[in-house]
Amino acid sequence: MSKFIDITLTGFSAGMVYSAVALALVLIWRATRVVNFAQGGMAMITTYIAVTVIDRGYGYWWAFAAALLSGLVLGAVLERVIVRRVESAPPLNAVVVTLGLLVLLTAVGGLIWGNSSRPSVPTPFSLAGYTFGKTTVGFGRFDTFLVLAVLAVMVLLVALFRFTGLGLAMRASAYSQEVARLVGVRVGRMLTLGWALAAIAGSLAGILVAPRVPLSPNFMDGPNIIGFTAAVVGSLDSPPGAVVGGVGIGLALSYVSGYLGADFALPATLGILIVVLMIRPEGLFSRAQARVV
Amino acid sequence: MSAPTEVGPPPAPAPGKPRRPAVGVLRWTLARHLLLVVVGLVVMFIVTAALPEFRDFQVMEIGYFVCAVAGLTVLTGMNGQLSLGHGALMLIGAYVVALLQVHAPSTPMYVQLVAAVLVTAAFGAVLGAGAARLRGPYLAGATLALAVGLPSIPTHYVSSLGGETGLNTSSIVTVPGWLGASFTQDHYLAWIGSVAAIATLLMLGNLRRSGVGRHFRAIRDDEVAARLSGLNVARTQVLAFVVSAGCAGLAGGLTVLATNSASPGGFDLTLSVGLLTAVILGGLGSLAGAVVGSVAIVALPSLSETLVRLTSLSASRGASVELGIYGLVLIAVMLVAPGGLAGVVRRLRATVARP
Amino acid sequence: MLAVHELTTNYGAVCALDGVSIEVPVGQITAVLGANGAGKTSLLRTISGLVRARSGRVLLDGDDVTHVRPEDLARRGVAHVPEGRGVVAELTVEENLRLGGLFRKDRTDAARALREMYELFPPLAERRSRSAHTLSGGERQMLAIGRALVARPRVLLLDEPSLGLAPKITAQIMSLLRDLVAGQQLAVLLVEQNARSALSIADQGVVLGLGKVITTRAAADLASDVALRHAYLGF
Repeated sequence: MSKFIDITLTGFSAGMVYSAVALALVLIWRATRVVNFAQGGMAMITTYIAVTVIDRGYGYWWAFAAALLSGLVLGAVLERVIVRRVESAPPLNAVVVTLGLLVLLTAVGGLIWGNSSRPSVPTPFSLAGYTFGKTTVGFGRFDTFLVLAVLAVMVLLVALFRFTGLGLAMRASAYSQEVARLVGVRVGRMLTLGWALAAIAGSLAGILVAPRVPLSPNFMDGPNIIGFTAAVVGSLDSPPGAVVGGVGIGLALSYVSGYLGADFALPATLGILIVVLMIRPEGLFSRAQARVV
Repeated sequence: MSAPTEVGPPPAPAPGKPRRPAVGVLRWTLARHLLLVVVGLVVMFIVTAALPEFRDFQVMEIGYFVCAVAGLTVLTGMNGQLSLGHGALMLIGAYVVALLQVHAPSTPMYVQLVAAVLVTAAFGAVLGAGAARLRGPYLAGATLALAVGLPSIPTHYVSSLGGETGLNTSSIVTVPGWLGASFTQDHYLAWIGSVAAIATLLMLGNLRRSGVGRHFRAIRDDEVAARLSGLNVARTQVLAFVVSAGCAGLAGGLTVLATNSASPGGFDLTLSVGLLTAVILGGLGSLAGAVVGSVAIVALPSLSETLVRLTSLSASRGASVELGIYGLVLIAVMLVAPGGLAGVVRRLRATVARP
Repeated sequence: MLAVHELTTNYGAVCALDGVSIEVPVGQITAVLGANGAGKTSLLRTISGLVRARSGRVLLDGDDVTHVRPEDLARRGVAHVPEGRGVVAELTVEENLRLGGLFRKDRTDAARALREMYELFPPLAERRSRSAHTLSGGERQMLAIGRALVARPRVLLLDEPSLGLAPKITAQIMSLLRDLVAGQQLAVLLVEQNARSALSIADQGVVLGLGKVITTRAAADLASDVALRHAYLGF
């Protein structure tokens, strides 16, 4: 029984990270109708920037801020300079460009920081689980921080989109660019902003994954694929779906790892992805009928 | 407001051109293709004779890449389906040949290659059936997952599939006696690769001109219209996958002949990315582009080695240079010339034609 | 006031507008009439900047705004209600209305304008938190016009407001427009397929044919010229 609780808690914690990745993908999809395959690469770069900040002697919080801030800038720059040009092109062009970006970012990471894996990021929160008397659970202070951080970002994003004029302008730009322009919204800026905000969520995922794994230019590849799966499962159009999908997959993978073995995690992810794409490609939370993408 | 940049193979001939009778077209096309085959063989003779011996291996490499890239460009360019998993399909072909060599070493080389083609094509049918409902980014994501996931499967089966180190085979390629005693095995392999490439190009070229090829294009251009005119869209798309998978399987089988081994590491995501880059660079749907793209991919490691030497980067960073060039090519081509080199040639021809 | 001089627009090889000149005075409704394909919608889209003019000028109170982008022109007081309403179906009624006033610096007046729209269009007030796609055709037209008016524009460009609406609703919308113009310093350019109802509220009428101006006359004149009506206006 305690093993079950352990696995559930670990899965929940991992799931929140996947939700952050999925949310980033969903936000970019809704804003610009592009699936950002480069998401993992962007998160890797911003995490490495954070690591560099720590290496230079600054504290964790500076590094944390650096990760999020560089994410904001990177997202904005990539959208404005590169992705903008394929937003109105056939979907295939955007897929190839974001893939190219993923490859390029991975290469840049390797060039600047080297391809060998380096030790993880130290954090002020203990990675060890909470202890209750004699039992230690698989959920510790860092996990609490993780969950709270992701929730905070989500709440802020929701508040931005629902309650502010800027959020309204962004949503209008996503639903109907023409109408948005006719009411004076600078649609281009909204698209850039959408990418910037999404990249923050992605960078958050990166810096939260980092303490638990050795860092290498490919360290976000796995979470990227899992996040993509979560976004597809939840529905690319639905931010709540991204969250539910992320947590759901996190739990599912945790059970698979815990009861069947860690080797089965990746195949299980692929299995889920394939099953969902076969049965309900538009995702579980989709309100509209299946889009022809 | 600019129109979206279209990607695709050459447009149909201008209206007003008199229609030849169907049989006449076939004869003319076949004749033209056979002529190209002869030219190709001649080029093969000349090139392999002229190049120094250490290039033989690269000619072989180009040969099998052409098989895989040509198959992929037909799938993507003509049918509009983007697959990132063809590296995984090559892996299947490779393992088929490697397993045959380990367990049934007396099987002739040609039989082994045919087996690789058939098995991979069957897998392609399954993949195509599953992918029939997927579009755009969803298909890309699913095949990306395949490219990442499939190579990890052999690592779990150490005894039967060789685990992470893969299978090693002893060479089964023996140079036929009639070629002469001084004909090296590498030279022979270069010929095998070239012949395979030429055969694949011939098959795909004929396919493209045939009714099936027209079906592919119809679906790519407007799926709803194609369905309304009675085309069985799903079946055609599965067929496209089967054909391109068979080509990838052939390519994978050929790699075993060249390297005498099959391992997961040789068919990783970088390979799938490389195949895609070759397709994009050459131009989606263009067979000539597939050849150009394959040459570029094979030449790339030497290029990146030169860059590494010039900038005195360490070896591990050298791998990043290669990857970085792939990324840059993908982005640059898509932004500047989405039709690839074939598209550029097409535009040049059009500008020349219009005085 | 809005003025258009020798405006020419192409869609590729097709000439949609060919040297069109119109003046849209303040406090008046100018109707643009003609058959399908005459260039009416192209005229509005070129004025508001959604389509780039080949040649010619668009002048807003004397300022050349020909190549100003739609979002900037909207901020300068030109509100365009496009064909098909231009209502964002996924947003609520309230959100659609708020959209109109988003860019305005005077937030108090923007809020006041929003309240005025609810008084002007009671059905919208009843459905303020409902999603826009649940509205009927007439309600959506009200919402589209309301959104345009929230911005307190100087010029209102309306593209076929009666499209798909029952005659009774059309009559309501038309008389509403008439009252609006009477009360505010507003210039209205009204593109309409339904020439009869348009002429009933317009001050002047411009008839377009194949991208060119056939004639510009006082609305009453147009309405009484039977030959012209039969030839170009369908009644």
